[in-house]
Amino acid sequence: MTRYLRLIRIFTGATVSAQLEYRANFIGAVLSSLGQVGVALLAIGVLFGQGSDTVGGWTFREALLVTGFFILTEGFIAVFVQPNMSRIAEAIRTGNMDFTLLKPLDAQFSVSTRYLNVLRAPDLLIGLGLIVYAASALTTTPSGLLIAAVLYVSALTIVYCIWLALSTTAFWFVKTQNVAELFNGIFGAGRFPVTAFPLPVRFALTFIVPIALITTVPAQAMTGRLSPALAIASPLVAAGLFAVTRWFWLRAVASYTSASS
Amino acid sequence: MIRKTRVLFATRFAEMAEYRAEVIIWMLSGTISLVMMLVWMAQAAAAPGGQIRGYDGSEFATYFLSVWLVGQLLVVWVGWELDFMIRQGTLSPKLLRPLDPMWVEYAAHVAERFVRIGPMLVLLVIFSFLSGASFTRDLWAYPVALGLCILGFTCRFLYEYALGLLAFWTESSTAFSEVAWLLYAALGGLFAPLTFYPQWVQNIAVWTPFPYMLGLPAQLLAGKATLAQAGFGALILFGWVVVFWFARLLVWRLGLKKYGAVGA
Repeated sequence: MTRYLRLIRIFTGATVSAQLEYRANFIGAVLSSLGQVGVALLAIGVLFGQGSDTVGGWTFREALLVTGFFILTEGFIAVFVQPNMSRIAEAIRTGNMDFTLLKPLDAQFSVSTRYLNVLRAPDLLIGLGLIVYAASALTTTPSGLLIAAVLYVSALTIVYCIWLALSTTAFWFVKTQNVAELFNGIFGAGRFPVTAFPLPVRFALTFIVPIALITTVPAQAMTGRLSPALAIASPLVAAGLFAVTRWFWLRAVASYTSASS
Repeated sequence: MIRKTRVLFATRFAEMAEYRAEVIIWMLSGTISLVMMLVWMAQAAAAPGGQIRGYDGSEFATYFLSVWLVGQLLVVWVGWELDFMIRQGTLSPKLLRPLDPMWVEYAAHVAERFVRIGPMLVLLVIFSFLSGASFTRDLWAYPVALGLCILGFTCRFLYEYALGLLAFWTESSTAFSEVAWLLYAALGGLFAPLTFYPQWVQNIAVWTPFPYMLGLPAQLLAGKATLAQAGFGALILFGWVVVFWFARLLVWRLGLKKYGAVGA
């Protein structure tokens, strides 16, 4: 375990110093982070600007909480998940996956933690800031915050598992970045509370693609309106998905025959 | 000239037809207007009288599906392409040809529209059926909307091209393209019809090309815009096309000097 933690530190150091070489990129990244949040706020601002106090039963501040979780999750994907997952397909195509598999390390660990995109770290700060701002006007309890934190960890696990499962298909299909696009498209629904959608869509977003568990459920936990069923469902779904993707990954690696064969 | 155009178009079409599976995925991933459609429809259903600012559920469906359709016709990825070509040096052999590389890219984008249009119409029919959208019965609106789309696409292509060329100077030209997308999405009317926005945003938006390339053709298809508005929009778009044409030319000339200067 300590060995893995030490490795994470080394990986992080290497990838951060490699990225800081390109300073102009940072300005571009900050610009697009600010633009991103501006657009998210505009979307929700316009929605609430039409005279109604609630959207799907959520007040403005409560809905802002969901947007905060949405931006935070997008930041998590951009910083931690995507840089690694997008390289899996490339490594398989070029045969570099061989080296990863030969190392005396769990291969899923090394493909998942090797890279970081520090340039998108402002997204994490903006998301957190928005959550704090939204929560400051709401009544929250310490236990609510604790449950929200736990549920958000399961949410991030779900996000990671979906991405890993999609990227693992690269062992059979050469190109996968388009599948990631598809995920981003559907994940866009997570910027609003799930109750803002018509009933059939709400059902799909909860049970078919668990977007609701990622952004709405932690926000519900913070405002203390979470149903116990959903509170239990989120960690269960996360654990189940993790087991399934782990199994899927091991199967994919077992069937891997290098690039040239 | 005509033969050149035909060959250019035919080869780009063959290339794009190879990506047909990807084209469908790209189409499905542009879902933001569909998400907004669902949210607004639910909002309208909950509102007293079943409508918001004169839009009921099915009118929201019509507007946002039209936006989705127009958005599909306006997709431009040339910024990413240029960023890649300049960084990897694959631009160099293209400079040897007796043709501005812009036309190759333009032809590729236009050809892709023809690959896209079949599955797009199928999806449109399915979505309209599910959401209860109904498009305008005034037949003149369709060619007029198409004309605006062509102008809007050209406008977007030119400014994305100029932004992509910034890769000659900076490593973050794709970030500028992203910012441009955000402006396009916000002011174009991807999140709501422009009349729903605060007045000061509308006052700024009318001077930009964005409302006329996305929102206006969508309003035409939804039967909520007049021919006069379309003509006014076309004029403004045309003005911007001229501006962006020269901007692109300027960036291209300066960029080539810079490109040659480092010996690449």
